[in-house]
Amino acid sequence: MASATDTALVSEDTSETEAVAAGAVGLAAVLFALSLASVFELVTITDPVAGVPMVALLGGLLVVLGFAVVTFGVGSRLGYVATDPRPTAGLVASTAFGLVWFVVGGLVASQSLGFGTAGWVIGALVTGGAAFAVSAFPREDIGSTLPAGGLALFAGIVFLTGVIGPSWVWNLGWEQQASFNAEFTIPVLTAFCSLLVGWAAAKAYGGFGARGRHVGAYVLVYLNAISIIALLFLLVAFTVLKGLPGLFNGFAFGAGAGPEVTLVGLTFSLPVSWPFVMNGVALLNDVNGVLPAIAGTIWLVIGAVLFAVPLGVGAAVFITEYADRGRFTQVVEIATNGLWSTPSIVFGLFGLAFLVPRLGNQKSLLAGMLTLGFMLLPLVVITSRESMLAVPDEYRDASAALGVTKWQTIRSIVLPASLPGIVTGIILGVGRIAGETAPILLTMSGSVAPPGSQTVDVLGGFQFQSAPPFVTNPELMQATSALPYQLYSLITAGVGQSSNIGAIDEFRWATALILLVVVLGFYAVGIATRYYFRSKLQHD
Amino acid sequence: MSETRQTTDDAQATTDSELAGGASPGTDQPLEVTSGETRERTREEWVEHEFEGEAKLSVSDLDVYYGDDHALKGVSMEIPENSVTALIGPSGCGKSTFLRCLNRMNDRIKAASIDGSVQLEGEEIYQDGVNLVELRKRVGMVFQSPNPFPKSIADNISYGPRKHGDLDTGLLANLLGRSDDDAVDELVERSLRQAALWDEVQDRLDDNALGLSGGQQQRLCIARALATDPEVLLMDEPASALDPIATSKIEDLVHDLAEEYTVVIVTHNMQQAARISDQTAVFLTGGELVEYGDTDQVFEDPQSQRVEDYISGKFG
Amino acid sequence: MNVLPDSDGAGLRAAARRGLRRSRDFVDETPPDALVTVTVAAVSLLAAFAGFLAVSSLTAVPFAVFLVATGYGWLRHQELTARVLTLTTTVSTILVLGLILVFIFAEAWPTVQYATVNVFGIPIPGLRLFIETRWSPVTPPIQYSLVPMIHGTVLVTIIATAVAAPLGVAAALFLSEIAPRTVREVVKPGVEILAGIPSIVYGFIGFTILSPWAADQFDIVGQGTYLFVGIVVGLMALPTVVSVAEDALNSVPESMKSGSLALGTTDWQTMTSITLPAAFSGVSAAVLLGVGRAIGETMAATVMLRGSPGLTKPLYNVFYGNDTLTSLIAANYGDADGLQLSALFVAGVILFVTVLFLSIGSQYIEARMRRKLGGAE
Repeated sequence: MASATDTALVSEDTSETEAVAAGAVGLAAVLFALSLASVFELVTITDPVAGVPMVALLGGLLVVLGFAVVTFGVGSRLGYVATDPRPTAGLVASTAFGLVWFVVGGLVASQSLGFGTAGWVIGALVTGGAAFAVSAFPREDIGSTLPAGGLALFAGIVFLTGVIGPSWVWNLGWEQQASFNAEFTIPVLTAFCSLLVGWAAAKAYGGFGARGRHVGAYVLVYLNAISIIALLFLLVAFTVLKGLPGLFNGFAFGAGAGPEVTLVGLTFSLPVSWPFVMNGVALLNDVNGVLPAIAGTIWLVIGAVLFAVPLGVGAAVFITEYADRGRFTQVVEIATNGLWSTPSIVFGLFGLAFLVPRLGNQKSLLAGMLTLGFMLLPLVVITSRESMLAVPDEYRDASAALGVTKWQTIRSIVLPASLPGIVTGIILGVGRIAGETAPILLTMSGSVAPPGSQTVDVLGGFQFQSAPPFVTNPELMQATSALPYQLYSLITAGVGQSSNIGAIDEFRWATALILLVVVLGFYAVGIATRYYFRSKLQHD
Repeated sequence: MSETRQTTDDAQATTDSELAGGASPGTDQPLEVTSGETRERTREEWVEHEFEGEAKLSVSDLDVYYGDDHALKGVSMEIPENSVTALIGPSGCGKSTFLRCLNRMNDRIKAASIDGSVQLEGEEIYQDGVNLVELRKRVGMVFQSPNPFPKSIADNISYGPRKHGDLDTGLLANLLGRSDDDAVDELVERSLRQAALWDEVQDRLDDNALGLSGGQQQRLCIARALATDPEVLLMDEPASALDPIATSKIEDLVHDLAEEYTVVIVTHNMQQAARISDQTAVFLTGGELVEYGDTDQVFEDPQSQRVEDYISGKFG
Repeated sequence: MNVLPDSDGAGLRAAARRGLRRSRDFVDETPPDALVTVTVAAVSLLAAFAGFLAVSSLTAVPFAVFLVATGYGWLRHQELTARVLTLTTTVSTILVLGLILVFIFAEAWPTVQYATVNVFGIPIPGLRLFIETRWSPVTPPIQYSLVPMIHGTVLVTIIATAVAAPLGVAAALFLSEIAPRTVREVVKPGVEILAGIPSIVYGFIGFTILSPWAADQFDIVGQGTYLFVGIVVGLMALPTVVSVAEDALNSVPESMKSGSLALGTTDWQTMTSITLPAAFSGVSAAVLLGVGRAIGETMAATVMLRGSPGLTKPLYNVFYGNDTLTSLIAANYGDADGLQLSALFVAGVILFVTVLFLSIGSQYIEARMRRKLGGAE
């Protein structure tokens, strides 16, 4: 039983067959990259690459790859290649192959051969069943190479013979029309086949069996991880590249370059002129900017923090320190987690229904602040509670043993010890609300392209009066703009409303970039502090 | 390890060796500080152990570093086949590190770097192209604290062979009529009997293994290791977390296993080592192998003064 | 603490008596002026809240009284005041959830009532919202069907989950089990930071780059497809799924993984047979969290879709995209009033309830996992 699959402890030097398999994996990777390049239209499929049109190159490589993999599998089955295969490729692989070939069979029967419903169902079932049988019943070396290599061969031949050629179009024939063209289909099919074949070749490289599966899976997992990282990185890099020109339009640096400001009675010129963040939008501006939106975002964040942090930390203190663990704390936990996952647009609706009518019956900065405060609240409660729970009970006991009252213990032991966690949570929460559009859309949105004179000045806006409510602040009660809302309105605004802005596209990208910088800045600071305190805790 | 205790140990060791006189012949004994415990220097002949039969594992000049920390210093020893070898020594002396080198579990620790040679039946396990899976199939391991998988008892036992492809109980195998269900049952019973656990669990093989007591869990882990039919069984203080009754069961078990397997067991319980092992290796602080030989000889007539002090309980 | 009322009245009465006794003890032990301060603060806060609810301009008065009372209490009886204040904040937090529930349900009610259908003489409120298929708030016959938007939300969520779940879990496996330490130390915080990219930025890129490309590529009339909104939303949820699933995988004890490896299994076998099953609950909670994000995602959908409610033809045609529940609200709140506005609130209620259930579900799964793995640690 156990001795049936005895393998050597030390494998031989990389044999020629292994080199062939490794070459196939590499070729599949090249093919994958080529097909991606043509999906993103870096190369069109009719462009010649190395003297051959792209379609023919893709098709030819697929045929070569498919042939190589099938040969390897058959060679292994016949004993020419030393491998360590299992009796079967396994249920997962068989089902996957069965499904893939089911689709292929169905499409060929219905589209190429023009059979009716019954025809394509039978065709799909027959090919799918055959593929399942081929991968499930023979030994693993046949089972995992034949269906994959066969598909690559089939696709390659289809491309080479021009059945799917450069001018091929498949109209889906739906009521709302949509169609696949060759520009899209050929590269995507090639990418898919190269993944399948690459996986099969990787398995072959590992000699099938447990090690082969390990290698095959690792190839896919690595590819997935690299693609995700690359994609997210590209996204940020793309925004930065597109946004930079607009952001630094008219940027000047040097003594007296900037606008004059008056601080504490002193008037002087700033050493920096950065029109995009110092101007609003006006007809006569050389460079238009988003100053009102930046000021709006800053005040929004300040207001939300002032509202949510005392409430959230207080609630966390109560449920962690005062309340006994039980029904009540459970309800609070479910409530906070529920609040945390509530969609932001629902908060917006709530603000619209609850706050707006009670705050002067119009959209206002204050309504926006409170709405975002509601959103921030559950995160503050959750993170504060977590970091308070992480404070060891011994500290509390030691303090209590000294005869210190509970509140004194909380104030001088628990809160200081959990402060890093609370601050981190707040920073991350602020990052999230600073980027939120939906709630402020419903509660505080102002004009599309506010001029610089509409920059909100909360501190200067307070007015006192003798009749209730005694204190008013029109600045708080007015609609204003914020960065995410500004970007949204720039995207959706018609031409007429944004005609003041000359280079609208540049302006949009710059706004997107500055929003990204502000929000990711909060996140970066928050996450850096979290890792800093975590590593400090581990080293102590 | 406080500073003060080391100095007292130091002082004691010195006075002892002066009193004993014979144990440290002043003339050819270079007085150099080699570790915290004494100034005695390790001599090569103390770690030479003559035995009959084949060496299953032979280790030479093994050095292990964790970052800057030199955890094992030039250890060389040969481990005979079908016997119990005990590794003893105070905490932090590197005995567990040594054990984990024998099936390359230290590869899991990314900061560890290993230098030297370990041969399994003459084949070097630290070279390129070594199949770790194959190595660990042949050199099994039981850990300090029981670590059953959150699966049923039977699944725990059959896990290794199923993953090696020796047994197939999957849906597909069932459909094809080549399922090894009977072989699995047989294997489960045999392994559990070997680990002296069968009588206690035979009625609840499908229960979750996490529901067993600590001692039962540890014997399950031994049964699990035996099910893959290894040649060498490494045990890292397998009884340290158990009560005396469970411990004695494990000790009996180890004794029986030596007929078929090569067992290497780490323990810091010296009575345990004396009871169950054929030969004993003593590691002392600093990651050095100080003495290695027949268990009786090491415990009754240690050649090293430091080992004698350690065995008689003066430190450690 | 488990003073749950038993089904019989005796238990209830006992609990009430106990509660009464406890409050009497509290009154007896507390100095009278502290008691007065706390009572004044509580009453004034309640009054302020009532005033705010009633849109009274006098709201400021009781609020000022509350501030003064707590200020006095803080100076003289800090221990008690702190306790009462923290209790107040806790109650406020629960109150926020309660208020959200009450207000969006109350605002949604008129449309629900309008859409009542009599089935065999029994009036079922809101049924017409789900059996009609046309959203037509202006041109008669006026219908507020939410079916098209639910269809859109479902399609987007399915596509987003199909993107985020497998890729996210595979990436989490990579980060937690495979990646070299140095790679992980850079990539993990990077992924966490990327979780913060605002959705409007994704929407903007989708709107300016992806939508025109897709319209051209698939020969679609006009722009906006559920397919690409789903992909964008899936990418957006990806960092969250990766980060949470990675935490779950990381919490599987190392001893379990070593135990499997020491038996001579490959790393991949250990991952699929030991680590993933052991962390299954945490990983599925991560996926549920991602699904919740996808359902509630607003801005990308609003910006990228057509904003003209209707079903795609045929129903599985993902190359066209009309509206989701979220984008309906965001795009129509401005010119909606009366019943139409109320219909938007119905959409909000559906979103809120769905996501709340997902959240409670994932918490339940996680709690179960903690109990199950509890014995192993």
